[in-house]
Amino acid sequence: MAIEDDVLVIGGGLAGATAALAAAEEDVRVRLVSYKQSTLRHASGLIDILGYTPAGEGPLVDPFDALEGLPEGHPYERVGTEAVREALEFFDDIAGDAYDGAHTDANALVPTHGGTVKPTARYPASTAAGLASDDRDTLLVGFETLPDFEAPLAAAHLEAAGAPFAARGVTVRFPGLVRDDAKVTRYAHLLDHDEAVTTAAGETTARDALAETVRGHLEDETRVGFPAILGDDHAAEVRADLGERLAVDVFEVPMGPPSLPGMRLEDLLYDALEDAGVRVTTGVPVVDYETESDGTDATGPDRIDRVIVDRHGAEVPHRADQYVLATGGLVGKGVDSERERVFEPIFDCHVPHAADRYEWFVDDVFGDQPYARFGLPVDRDLRPLDAGDEPEFRNLRAAGAVLGGYDFAAEKSGSGVSLATGYAAGQRAGREGGE
Amino acid sequence: MARDTEVLVLGGGSTGCGIARDLAMRGLEVTLVERGNLTDGTTGRMHGLLHSGGRYAVSDQASATECIEENEILRDIAGHCVEETGGLFVQRPEDSDEYFREKLEGCRECGIPARVLSGAEAREVEPYLAEDVKRAIEVPDGAVDPFRLCVANAIGAENHGARVETHAEVIDLLREGDDIYGVEVRHESGPGKRTHATPGATEEITADYVVNATGAWAGQIGAMADLEVEVRPSKGVMTIMNVRQVDTVINRCRPKGDADIVVPHETTAILGTTDEEVSDPDDYPEEGWEVDQMIDTLSELVPILEEARTIRSFWGVRPLYEPPGTGTQDPTDITRDFFLLDHTDRDGVSGMSSIVGGKFTTYRAMAEEISDHVCEKLGVTAGCATADEPLPGSENIETLEAGMDDFGLRSPVARRSKQRLGSRASEVLETDDANPVICQCEGVTRAEIRDAVSQSGSDLNAVRIRTRASMGNCQGGFCCQNMANELHPTYDEETVRASLDELFQERWKGERHALWGEQLSQAMLNYALHATTMNRDRDPASAEAAVDFAAFDGGGR
Amino acid sequence: MSDAEQPTDDGVPGDDEFEPIQVFPEAEDMDLRPGADDCYKCSTCDTNCPVAEVDDEFPGPKFQGPEQWRLKRQDDRDIDDSVMKCSNCMRCDSACPSDVPLSQMHNTARGEYVEEQMEKFSREYVRNRILANYRRLAPLGSMFPRTTNFVMGLSATQWLGEKVLGITGEREFPEFATETFREWWTARGGAQVRNEDKRIAYFHGCYSNYNTPEVGKALVRVYEHLGYEIMVPDQHCSGTPMFANGMLEDARRSAETNVRELGAAIADGADIVASCSSCSMSLRQEYPELFDFEGTEEVAANTWDAVEYLRVHEDLEGELEGTSVGDEFENFAYHAPCHARNQGLDGQTMEVLAPIDGVEARDVGDSCSGISGTYGWKAENYETSMKIGDEMFDHMEDADAETGLTECPTCSMQMEHGTGYEITHTLEVLEAALVGTEADSQ
Repeated sequence: MAIEDDVLVIGGGLAGATAALAAAEEDVRVRLVSYKQSTLRHASGLIDILGYTPAGEGPLVDPFDALEGLPEGHPYERVGTEAVREALEFFDDIAGDAYDGAHTDANALVPTHGGTVKPTARYPASTAAGLASDDRDTLLVGFETLPDFEAPLAAAHLEAAGAPFAARGVTVRFPGLVRDDAKVTRYAHLLDHDEAVTTAAGETTARDALAETVRGHLEDETRVGFPAILGDDHAAEVRADLGERLAVDVFEVPMGPPSLPGMRLEDLLYDALEDAGVRVTTGVPVVDYETESDGTDATGPDRIDRVIVDRHGAEVPHRADQYVLATGGLVGKGVDSERERVFEPIFDCHVPHAADRYEWFVDDVFGDQPYARFGLPVDRDLRPLDAGDEPEFRNLRAAGAVLGGYDFAAEKSGSGVSLATGYAAGQRAGREGGE
Repeated sequence: MARDTEVLVLGGGSTGCGIARDLAMRGLEVTLVERGNLTDGTTGRMHGLLHSGGRYAVSDQASATECIEENEILRDIAGHCVEETGGLFVQRPEDSDEYFREKLEGCRECGIPARVLSGAEAREVEPYLAEDVKRAIEVPDGAVDPFRLCVANAIGAENHGARVETHAEVIDLLREGDDIYGVEVRHESGPGKRTHATPGATEEITADYVVNATGAWAGQIGAMADLEVEVRPSKGVMTIMNVRQVDTVINRCRPKGDADIVVPHETTAILGTTDEEVSDPDDYPEEGWEVDQMIDTLSELVPILEEARTIRSFWGVRPLYEPPGTGTQDPTDITRDFFLLDHTDRDGVSGMSSIVGGKFTTYRAMAEEISDHVCEKLGVTAGCATADEPLPGSENIETLEAGMDDFGLRSPVARRSKQRLGSRASEVLETDDANPVICQCEGVTRAEIRDAVSQSGSDLNAVRIRTRASMGNCQGGFCCQNMANELHPTYDEETVRASLDELFQERWKGERHALWGEQLSQAMLNYALHATTMNRDRDPASAEAAVDFAAFDGGGR
Repeated sequence: MSDAEQPTDDGVPGDDEFEPIQVFPEAEDMDLRPGADDCYKCSTCDTNCPVAEVDDEFPGPKFQGPEQWRLKRQDDRDIDDSVMKCSNCMRCDSACPSDVPLSQMHNTARGEYVEEQMEKFSREYVRNRILANYRRLAPLGSMFPRTTNFVMGLSATQWLGEKVLGITGEREFPEFATETFREWWTARGGAQVRNEDKRIAYFHGCYSNYNTPEVGKALVRVYEHLGYEIMVPDQHCSGTPMFANGMLEDARRSAETNVRELGAAIADGADIVASCSSCSMSLRQEYPELFDFEGTEEVAANTWDAVEYLRVHEDLEGELEGTSVGDEFENFAYHAPCHARNQGLDGQTMEVLAPIDGVEARDVGDSCSGISGTYGWKAENYETSMKIGDEMFDHMEDADAETGLTECPTCSMQMEHGTGYEITHTLEVLEAALVGTEADSQ
């Protein structure tokens, strides 16, 4: 007997979680099935909409202005500008105090660990005091054992980018660690739990010890940036504590992966899923599907009757009225490839690509890379289209990085596309699934 | 007129560096110039096989004999560059028994220790061999890190007073009448260690004698002085697997053919190769079918290769040479022997010899012969000591391997670091500073990176060939910027940025040939990391137009 | 099929088998380097490691797994000793977005480390061997349960455990039941329902047999209520504690018996169900990853979690709709064990209990309990184990509940140890809802 729901979302990243939450708004039974953990943990936690046009113009001050000009087939063009705005409002409601940026349509420029700034529409509260358009002088603090963030170099880089403030960087030893290869979660845990640590000054607590370590380096800066390891569950408290001790504003510089801000965003979404009553099944893959066999409607696309979830060899059927595919792109393995082809592994939806794999790339590493656009073409209802531009299935929609036709890395549009298409796909699936 | 140096060696590959060290050890004043990094030519583009001679045991017994002799010498003098893997010539059921017998006899005739294994015994040695392999001949093939070996020769030369200039391209040979007395080079960033974003300069370097050791490029150098050197560059593809499927060199036991060898190389396995003549050693096609051929053909020997991940492919150009008039059509038939062309005898132009042909395994013997020749020309009587004197890093290697010191590192990281650094391990790894791992794929720590930076300036590709950092499965996606971070504050931000961009682009170059499956996912992840979070593709610091910061969100609270 | 005898082996310490002698084991020799092909270095595994978060001596699963394997040459024998700090929670397996066989790599490396590098007469080895072979000690305790419970509770015994063996004195040894599950099963005359079409073989594992037979009884009553014929085949330890201690040869011996016996049950038309999430995990995932006895794959493919089986094969939601439980059960703080999470079962209990009246369950989140089988019993890990558990303890105390609920016996020990709550198994709640709580008349 199949496990039954109204809407089944496959994939547990930003797009999948948003789709499930949007569907749950429609008062239907929603299940989210996620195999492995999503790429949220790789990502900076920034919610970007559009930082640059596909032609490379930018950084864009107002992302919404530029949405209208996107080419046909771009996921934003498919859902429409209004849906992007609605999705962002939907996110703002879910995120609450954890994110900033809703007060304006303008993008923010957030300094990241390489020392560049990245345009984004919403940003974690932990990064708010660090915005590059804020002209306060800045001290960046790096740690000897975290080679991903070289604070003095990042400070010099910000100045080279023309940031309107003086930036200085120092590198210190993070107090309380024994080994040089501690994971970022260890740093966060020490601060989260304000663990007892021993320093040259004797027994103290992790937050005190860190504040003391930084204090001597502080000159007249009024804000201090750290790599994004300042706590996990109690990040706001850690930041406030450090800020109080140093009498400055404390902010985080997004790093990644692994990325604490990405993990916090994931926690926020999964808490919301629980609150919304979405049933979540993780750790098992959807491996196959069956279509409805009675053939009441012989013409037109098939309906998916059920999908098969593999639980260590046991095949467990899951049935729903509507399905949303949000399995990610090449990184999330929602799109996979072999020497001869690029494909979507669950439903074998059409993925346009050149036959010769030497046409999947260009020679400039940051050039206009065809592989970055691999994914499913969809109609305006977000239903995947086959090679003849007909919907593959009547009750399947796709959202997020599994979609093709856009280069999220170049445009800085990954989170926005996941939100907008996840929201639209989830809402429509929820409405149809409730009928 | 006093010359700048006694001997000027052109070319920083294994031959050039070997000659520079040999002559410097004999007390000569030596300068070496190389247009790119050390090993940038053919040396850094080979499969890393330390020949036992087995491959030539049927077709070219003189080469085979020379190989086994040099093989044994290198095990002694370059212990930290050599891995004694052993090798197998594996016969499949469809391969000729006759040839198998000839191979075995040939090995014995050339003094190459050889032993026959049954198919089952061969599979016990290498479990991933195909189930139906018939039998194999075991020979003392080995694996050698050409980067480390070449750099060790350069360091050895420098330790004996030589000047080694990389990124110094020869733009002209200085010729007066029938005498060549030096070269003009263009320094990419001024003489000395390379520093990105520093303006270049040209320099005339005069010498009593010039050795053209530029291999496949020897014809181009010769042409600068209107000399004709008939090198016939021949390209071969090599495909790098992400992990070692085999720990022994696996050769297909059949007459010459493409795609017939798998060499375990450090953490990877390298599949090779092809043999196809090209007209220009800097410009030839690199094509997908060549990569496919490596995988598909060698899967017959090691089936797991068919589904295994490749991380990149590269092409090397052999500096094949044959005397004018020989007229061999197929490059695989051209001899692997080397030729010393004395332009006095040959062209009536004094002051320079060219060295062409030859192979990596016998680089030392070639260097010895040329050095003897140069000494004769210059009237120097000192003899060669390179067959006995260990390379820097290989002194007292046995005591090092017995040593238990892990320098506070996790044991596999300590083991690999010590293997790379050899007897320099304590000097480099003993530190009171934090020493986190910078390249996790290859287990390279900050101390080792900084040591390499101290040798080679802001050039991260030079750091890469010294340490293997960024040569693992992420192909630098996760560690390139961390390597670059180590350049600061010795080098300023602009230099660091240029150096990082160069390394990242170089890594992409080889990875393009591996873009499917896991490596395409890796490429997308790398691209996303560098473009999305770090915004390196649209870095405002590198953009022409200034950003109007005031127009953006300055915070709402 | 005889299904009512005592377990087949009653080996106790001192048996020949228990001597630290190892014959050539296969699993330790496996070359898992190709598994590193799937790793793209994203470190998602590291962020899920409960040990690396609280102890920086442990370098995390990415290093332990794909990195260490990739750096290995055939003849290298230098597994980093930190592999013994891995608790084998296997969370990294379901974290990895790219199918790297992390726990298989850890299990194999640990086996190799214990085999090649650990001193066989060391206190650590002897202690680990004893902990790994809990099932061999248990029959002894179970023979004189009251005496054993008394002796184990003495502070002198705990002191001895800590000082001599390195078993933490902070924990109380689990109590042995006065009647094991198998004794009860025999006494009631075995199966009471015969049904060729609906037949299951119950893998009770050690803990339900010796310590919490009420879980096994609950399973029997629920399944018989739904018309199933139950078989209780001979069985050994599932191997979980042995994998965690690198005792792969011990695990292999047990697995061989289990695969044989369970394979025979499958041939008799039964599917295998287990009430302990680590046992089902072991049969489903670790057996096929580490062993290749004939039938290993078949056993793996036909093994189910006991609740999951009913969800898929019965209309469990319909059966439970409108049922209620007595005052005995009210509000639960539910912890999903890591090994259930790895089988995609983390949301299951909450969903299954939803239709039952009178039960409120609150999921206490996705953190690890920290005990991970034998891990938290080792004196050197006790503090780490409790640090890992902190988050769960906090959430349990925040939840409006006085009783804990879980499907893993060692998680249950940790939950009780950290909060003082009484801990129930989900099958006991189902029993109350579907059958009622009155004692089986046998």
